[in-house]
Amino acid sequence: MTTMLLSPARGRLRSSTPVAMRSLLVSLVLLSLAWGAFGGWVASEHSSAAHAALTVDEPLSLDASQMYQSIADADVTITTAFLASSQPTLTPLQQYQHDIATASADIAQLRAAGGNATFDTALGKLISGLPTYTSYVAEAESQYSLGFPLTGGSFMQVASEEAHLTLLPAAKTVFQQENDAVSSASGEATGLPTEIIALLLAIITGYILVRSQRWLTRRTNRIINPGLLAATVLLVISAVWLAAGFLTARQDLDHGIGQGSGPAETLAQASIDVQQIRGDAVLNVISRSGDASFQQDFTATSKLVGPGASSLLGSAAGASSGSGHTAVVTAEQQAGSWYTTNAQTYTLGNAANYAAERTAVIGTGSGSSAAGYTALESSITKGIDADQSVFQSAAASGSDALSPLLAVVIVAALLMALGCIWGFRHRLAEYR
Amino acid sequence: MVAGRRHRVWLTRGWPTRAWQTGTALRIGLAALIGLAAAGGTAAAVLTSGNAAAATATTATASGAEPAGTISETGSSLLYPLIHAWGTAYQAQHPGETVNTKSTSSGVGISDASAGTADIGASDAYLSSGDLVKNPTLLNIPLAVSAQTIIYNVPGLSAGTHLKLNGPVLAGIFNGSITMWNNPAITSLNPGANLQAIRIVPVHRSDSSGDTFLFTSYLAMTDPTWNNAIGYGTTAAWPKVPGMAAQKGNAAVVSYCGTTAGCIGYAGISYLSQAQREGLGEAMLANGADRYTLPTASAIEASISTFASITPPNETISMIDGPSAAGYPLVNYEYAVVSTRQPDARRASDIRAFLSWAITKGNAPSYLNAVGFAALPPSVATLSAEQIAEIGS
Repeated sequence: MTTMLLSPARGRLRSSTPVAMRSLLVSLVLLSLAWGAFGGWVASEHSSAAHAALTVDEPLSLDASQMYQSIADADVTITTAFLASSQPTLTPLQQYQHDIATASADIAQLRAAGGNATFDTALGKLISGLPTYTSYVAEAESQYSLGFPLTGGSFMQVASEEAHLTLLPAAKTVFQQENDAVSSASGEATGLPTEIIALLLAIITGYILVRSQRWLTRRTNRIINPGLLAATVLLVISAVWLAAGFLTARQDLDHGIGQGSGPAETLAQASIDVQQIRGDAVLNVISRSGDASFQQDFTATSKLVGPGASSLLGSAAGASSGSGHTAVVTAEQQAGSWYTTNAQTYTLGNAANYAAERTAVIGTGSGSSAAGYTALESSITKGIDADQSVFQSAAASGSDALSPLLAVVIVAALLMALGCIWGFRHRLAEYR
Repeated sequence: MVAGRRHRVWLTRGWPTRAWQTGTALRIGLAALIGLAAAGGTAAAVLTSGNAAAATATTATASGAEPAGTISETGSSLLYPLIHAWGTAYQAQHPGETVNTKSTSSGVGISDASAGTADIGASDAYLSSGDLVKNPTLLNIPLAVSAQTIIYNVPGLSAGTHLKLNGPVLAGIFNGSITMWNNPAITSLNPGANLQAIRIVPVHRSDSSGDTFLFTSYLAMTDPTWNNAIGYGTTAAWPKVPGMAAQKGNAAVVSYCGTTAGCIGYAGISYLSQAQREGLGEAMLANGADRYTLPTASAIEASISTFASITPPNETISMIDGPSAAGYPLVNYEYAVVSTRQPDARRASDIRAFLSWAITKGNAPSYLNAVGFAALPPSVATLSAEQIAEIGS
C-alpha cells in the first residue's frame, strides 16, 4: 500500500482503483484512531502528572516538611520549658501539644498517601515512635510536678534521644521521599519522549492524508476531496494544540520548579538544618554527663545553611524571586548574628559554665539565641510560603493548559475518521 | 500514580506496630535465655585485674566453648573495687578468658567505650542524650546500685559521730560562703557536736567524674542558688574557694582528706572502708523528706524502690533525692557503657556473658556487701538483660 501511495503515477499499482481506495480508507481510519488513542494517552499522562504534582505530591511534601518542623519544635519547646522552670507556663505546653497534634495529622496524611518500602519503613518508625516519645515527656512532666526535677530531666533526655535518634531521622527520610515524588511527577509532566512520538505519528498521518488527496486528484479529476481536507485540517489543529499546550505547560512547570518548588525545597532543607542547630544547642545544655559536644556539628551545619554562594540559603536566594527572594535575603542576614550568639553558648558549655549556658540557650530576650532562632525560622518559612505560591500558580497554569488536550485530540481523531469515510464514500460510489 | 500510592498504604497499614512488637518479643526472649544461661552457670567467665594496670582472667562462653579473647574495661573508680572482686571470682569459676580492667574515671569510661578503645566503659552517670545521639550504638546498662558518701576530717569530734549535712550547707561549703566548721549553719544541724573553729577545706574531683555528676546533682536538686549558678555535670565550674583542692580519683580524694585537717569531700561508697581506715567521718545526708540517713543497704534499697518501676528501657534515670522517707538521697545505678556493635561475634558473646554474670551471680551479697553496693531490683535486672541481649557484632 505504501508503494501504491508513494508512486501512483508510475504505474506501480498492483490492484484496481476501488480496491486501492478501500485500502486507503481503512488505513486512514486506523491512523486517525491511532492518533486519537496515542495522542489522547500522552495528553492524559502529562495532565495527570501535572495534576498530581500540584494537588498530591507537593502538598504531601509540605506535610512532610511540616511534620519534621513540628517534631523538632515540640522537642525544643518542651525541653526548654522545663529547663526554664519545673512548672512551665501554659504557653509552651500548649505549643508542644499543638506541635504533636500537627505532626500526628501530617503522619496520618502521609500514611494515607503511602509510598515505597523506604517511605513505609520510615513512616512506621514515626507511627510507633511518636507515642513512645510523648509517653516519656508525660513521665517527665509527672516527675517535675511531683518535685523531682532531676528525674524529670532524665526522662526529658530519654525523650530527646527518641526524637533525635528515631523520629527526626525518619521524618527526614519521609521528607526526602516526598521531594523525590514531586520531582518524579514534575518530570513525568514535562517529559519529551512520548510527546515526540505522538507528534511523529501526527506527521506520518498527515503525510499519508496529503498523498492520498493527490492520488485521488489524479484518479478522479477532482481537485479537492472535502472529507480528507477536513481530516487534514483537524489533524493539524489537534497536533498544534497538543504541542502548544504541552510546551506552555512545560514552560509553566519549569518556571514553577525553578523558582518555586526548587528553592522551597532548598529552604525546607535549610529549615531542617537550622532546627538541628537549635536542637543540638538544647541537647548540649541537658547533656550533663559525659563530654559530648555538638560544637563541631554546629560549625559544619552553619556553613551548610549559609549565607554563602554555595550554601542552602545562597542557592535559594539565587533561585527565588519577589517576596520569596526578599525573605531569603533577610534570613541570610539573620543567620550570621544568630550563629554568633549560638557559638557563645558552646564556649560557656565547654567551660562547664552550665548555668550561663542554659540561660544563653533558653533566654528569650532580644538578641538571645532563642529569639534569633525564631526570627530566622520565621524568615525561612516566609520564603517557603512565597516559593510555594510561585510553584502552585505556575503548576496550576500548566495543568490548565494540559487539561483540554485529551478531549481535543479524541474528538479531532473521531472527526478525522468520519471525514475520511465521507471523502472516500462518494468516490467509491462512482465505481458501482 | 496517586491511586497506586494510596493503594500501597492500605496494604501496609499497621505493620510497623506488629514488627516492633515482634522485635521486642524476640529481644525479651533472648534476654531471658541469656539470663537463664548465666544463672545456670553456663555463661562466660571473665577475669578482672586487681589494680590500675591490668590483670587477666578466663571465662567460658555462654555456648560452653572455651573462649580465647580478651575483654577490656576502664572507667569509674567507684565501680572498680566491685569489678575487681567480680573478676577475681569469675576467674576462679571460669578459667579461660582474659579481661583487663582499669580504674580511671567515668568520663574516661564513656569516652573510651565511645571510641571503641575499651570493650566496657564503667560509669557512675548514665550516658547523656548528647553522648547517645553522637554514639547511637552505645548502651548504658546498670550492673548494681551504688551511693555517694560525704567524708570529712574534723578534729575534735567524738568517735562514731556522724555529722548531719544537707544540700544547702554543702552548697555553701563548696561555693565558699561557709568556711569554718563552727559556722552556725552547721552547728544548728548538729547540736552537741564538738565543732571547733577549723577552716573547711573542700576537695573535689579534678577529672571528668560520675561522682562529681552525682554530688553536684544533689546540690542542684536541693539548693536553687547552686542550680542557677553552677548546675551539675561530670565536671563543674567550681567557685574559687580559698584552700579548695582537686584530686584525681576516689582514692586520691580519700587520701587527701585523711591527711588534711578540716577537709570535706565526696567519694563513692566503695571507698568508705578506706575512709574509715583513714579515720574520716561519714555524714548523714538530708533526704527529700528532710530526714538524715546514712548509706546503709536498707536506706539505699528504700531509695531505689520508688524508681525501679519507672526506669525506662534504656535505663537512663536520675534517682537523686527521691521521695522515700527512709532512703538515702545520693544513690545511682552503676553503668556499663557498651557498644551494640562489637568487632566480632566472639567478642560480643564474651561481653554478653560477662555482663549477664555480673547482674545475676555478681549481684550476690557476698560481692556487694564488701563495697556497700545494693543489688539491682528484679525489674531493672530484666531491663539490663534485655539491653545486654542487644550487644552484637
